[in-house]
Amino acid sequence: MKRNGPAIAFYAVLAYAFLHLPLLVLGVFSFNASRFTNWEGFSLTWYREAFADGQLAEATFNSLLIGFAATALATAVGTLCAYGLWKRSSAWITTTLYLSLVTPEIVMGIALLALYQWLFRYLRLPLGMHTVILAHVMFCTAYVVTVVAARLRSYDKAQEEAAMDLGATEWQAFFRVTLPQLMPAIGSAALLVFITSFDDFVITSLVAGVDSETLPMVIYAMARKGFNPSVNAISTLITFSLAVLILLAQRLEEDPKR
Amino acid sequence: MTRRTVFLMGVAGLAGCYRPGGQRLNVFNWPEYVAPDTIPNFEREFGVRVRYGTYESLEEMLARVMTGNSGWDVAFPANYFIGPMRHLDLLAPLDHRRIPNLKNLDAPYQRPHWDPELQTCVPYMWGATGIVYQASLRPEPVAWADLWEARFRNRLTMLDDPAEVIDAALLKLGYPMNSEDPRQLAAAKREAEAQKPLLRAYVSEIVRDQLVAGELLASQLWRTTAMRAMEAAPDRLRFVYPKEGFPIYADNLVILRESKRQELAHAFINYIMRPAVAAKISETKLEATCNAAARAVSREDIRNHPILYPEEATMARAQWFEPLSGTGQRLRDRIWTEIKSS
Amino acid sequence: MTRLRWWCLSPAGLLLGLLFLVPLGIVARYSFLTRGPYGGVELPYSLENYKLLADPLYLAIFVRSIGYAGLATALCVAAGFPLALFIARSGRRRSLYLALVVVPFWTSFLVRTYAWMFLLRDTGLINTALLRMGLIGEPLQLLYTPFAVILGLVYGFLPFMILPIYATLERLDPALVEAAADLGARPMDTLFRVIVPLASPGILAGSLLVFISCLGSYLTPDLLGGGKTIMIGNLVQNQFTAARDWPFGAALSLVLMATILLLLLPLLRRKEGLL
Repeated sequence: MKRNGPAIAFYAVLAYAFLHLPLLVLGVFSFNASRFTNWEGFSLTWYREAFADGQLAEATFNSLLIGFAATALATAVGTLCAYGLWKRSSAWITTTLYLSLVTPEIVMGIALLALYQWLFRYLRLPLGMHTVILAHVMFCTAYVVTVVAARLRSYDKAQEEAAMDLGATEWQAFFRVTLPQLMPAIGSAALLVFITSFDDFVITSLVAGVDSETLPMVIYAMARKGFNPSVNAISTLITFSLAVLILLAQRLEEDPKR
Repeated sequence: MTRRTVFLMGVAGLAGCYRPGGQRLNVFNWPEYVAPDTIPNFEREFGVRVRYGTYESLEEMLARVMTGNSGWDVAFPANYFIGPMRHLDLLAPLDHRRIPNLKNLDAPYQRPHWDPELQTCVPYMWGATGIVYQASLRPEPVAWADLWEARFRNRLTMLDDPAEVIDAALLKLGYPMNSEDPRQLAAAKREAEAQKPLLRAYVSEIVRDQLVAGELLASQLWRTTAMRAMEAAPDRLRFVYPKEGFPIYADNLVILRESKRQELAHAFINYIMRPAVAAKISETKLEATCNAAARAVSREDIRNHPILYPEEATMARAQWFEPLSGTGQRLRDRIWTEIKSS
Repeated sequence: MTRLRWWCLSPAGLLLGLLFLVPLGIVARYSFLTRGPYGGVELPYSLENYKLLADPLYLAIFVRSIGYAGLATALCVAAGFPLALFIARSGRRRSLYLALVVVPFWTSFLVRTYAWMFLLRDTGLINTALLRMGLIGEPLQLLYTPFAVILGLVYGFLPFMILPIYATLERLDPALVEAAADLGARPMDTLFRVIVPLASPGILAGSLLVFISCLGSYLTPDLLGGGKTIMIGNLVQNQFTAARDWPFGAALSLVLMATILLLLLPLLRRKEGLL
C-alpha cells in the first residue's frame, strides 16, 4: 500500500498528542509533592502510598483476571458468531446483538442484577467474580461481532470455496484459510474488549460481590472527590506497565510476512 | 456413637478446616468514611478480617443490598433511608445488650425520630449543607437568597443533587424543606431556573479544588467537604449556615438482615461506638459525631468547633432531610429534569 | 455447512438468550409495573410510565442528546479516519501505532476525565499557557461548556472509531489504490472515491459504536458539562439512582433503545446490515 505523505504524518503527530496529552499530565502530576494541582516539587510520596495499599493490589489483580477472562471468552464467542452470521444470517441473533449494543449500561447493570437476584433465589448463586465475568462477556460480545463482521464483509467468499474445491473440509477452510486472515480484526476486537472490560464501572459495580472489587471501583471511590495524586500514580503505573507489555509482545511476534 | 454423630462431627471438622483464618466481616460504606486506623485496629483486636467496600450513592447501596445476596454485613444509610430500608425488610433488629456503648450516644440521638427505639440503627455522624465562600467577599453572603445576586455570575456552583437544589430554593422562598406541595415546588423551580444563568456548574465534591484555587466565589456545599477545603486554605475560605434555614442529615450504622455474622457485626458497631474510636473518626473526617462521649475526648479544636457544633440559635434553623412519598419524589424528579434542561 | 454454523452461533445464542434477553424481559416487565413507595417495583400493571413519556420535555432531551451524539460521531469519523489510514499504511510499525491509540485508555475513564478538567480549568494548563503567551487577557471558560462535553465524548470514544476502520483498511487491496492512480485519479479522488467507500463497513461499525456510547453516557455531561445540560443517559441513570423510579427508568430505556434502532434502520438497510 501507499506510504504516508508528510501531511498525514503531521496530522498523526497531532492526533497522538491529543490522545496522550491527558496521560502526560497525569504522569507529571503523579510526581508532584502537593496534594493539590499546583506544582510543589518532585516527590515519590504518591507511589509509596499506592504501593502500600493492599486493597489496590487485590483490585488490580481482580481487574486483570476479569479482563483477560472476559476478553478470551468474548473474542472467541464473538468471532465464531460473526463467522456463523457471515455464512448465513440469522435475524434473531442479529437483532439481539443490535439490542445489546443499544442498551444503556445502567439498564444492563440493573437488568443483570435483577437476573442474578432471581437466580440466587432458586439456585443459591452468590454474586462474585463469575457474575462479573459473565456480565462483561455478555456486553463485549457484540463489539467483537461488529468489528469482525466489518472485516468479513470485505472478505472474498471465493477463497473458502477454492480451499474446499481443493479438498479441505468446512472446518479446515475456516481454521486454515479464513481465521488467519481475520487475525488483525480479531486483535482489534480483543483490544477493544479488554479496554472496555478493564474500564467498566457502571455494570461491574452493580453485579460485583464482596470478593470481586475491581480497580475502577477502587479508583472511583478514591477519585470522586477530585484530582487525587495516588490515583494518578496507580494509573501511570498501570498504563506504563501495560504499554511495556504490549511493546514486548510485539517485539516477540514481529510479523515475518511484512 | 451413632452414625449421625460421626457425620455431624465430620461436618464440623470440615467447617473448621474451611475457615482457618477466622471470620470475615463485610462493611459497606462511603469511601474513606472511617479513620485510617479504624479497620486495622478492629482486625487486630478481634482476630478477624474486614472487607471495607464502598458505594458512590445511597441509591447504589440500596440497589445492591436489595437483592438479599450481596454478602454485606454492615452498612451506613442516612436517616431518610432507614424508613425505606425497614419497609423493605432489609435491616436486622439490634440486640442492645451486645452494644453497651449505646450509652455514649448524645441525648438527642438516643431517641432519633427516624427510629426512636434504635431498633435497627445506631446514629454515627451528622452533617449539614451550607455556603462556602471566599473570605474576601464584601458583603459576605449570609443567606440562600444571596446566591441569586449577579455579582456571583459564573463564579458560583450549586450541588449536583435534586434535593439540595430544590430545598435551597424552597428555603429561600420561606417554604419548608421536603415539601411535596405542587404550588411550592413550582415556585422553587422558577427560582432555580432564574439562578441557573449565574451558575458555573452543578457539581459536588470535586468543587473543593476549585474553591481552594480561588476559581469560584461561592458554592453550596456539604459541611464535611467545606471543612476540608477550609483546611487546605484556612484564611481564604469561610462557611456559613444560611439564615433562611439549612438541611441536616445523619448517617447510621445498621446490620443487614441477610448477614450471617450478626454477633461480629454487633461487636463492630460496639467498637465504633467507643469514645476513642469515634473521636478519631470525627477528627480525621472533620465531621460532627453523634457520640457524646467521643466528642468529650476529641481534640480541643474539634470538640468545640463552631461550624461542626453550631450554637443552639443556629441549630434552631436546621431541618432534617426526610423520605419522600412516591408521588412527591416523581414530581421533584420532573422538576429537576426541567431545571437541568432549561 | 449447517453443523459448523450451528457450532459457531450457539455459544453466542446461549449467552445472549440467558444473559441478555431474559434480563431485558425483566426490565420490560418492570416498565409496566408501578413504582413502590420506597423505590423498587410493585403491582399493578399499567401504561402510566409510557404516558409520562409523551411530554415535550423528554422529547427535547431526546433531540438534544441525538444532536450531541451525532456531532461527536461526525468529529470522531473526521479525526479517526485519517489516523486509521495512517496506521494502516505504516507497514511494520502498524501494530505499534495501533497500540499507541489504545494505551491512553488503560487509564480509568474517570481519571482521564479529571485530567481534561485539569487541562480546561480557569487555572488549568491551557488557560495558563495562553495567559503567559499574552494571547488572552483573562481565562477563557472552557470547562463546563458544551464544547467540553463534545471534546470529552470525542476523546472518550475515539478508539471505538479507529479500531473498526483500521480493521477494514488493513485488508484493503493496494492494487485498487494503484489502479486508481494509474488511471489518473488525483490523491483526493482516490481517497474519497476508492478508499472511503471500501472502508465504509468499518466507518459504519465505528459510527454505530461511538453514537450509541455517546447517547448512553452520563458521566461526561455531568463532569465536563457541569451538569448544566442533561442528556438521555443522565435521565435514565437518574431514574435508577436519585429518583428511584425503576418502572419509569425501564420505560425510558426501552424507548431509548427503540429510538436508536429506528434511527439506525435506514443506515443498516442500505447494505443488508452490519452484522
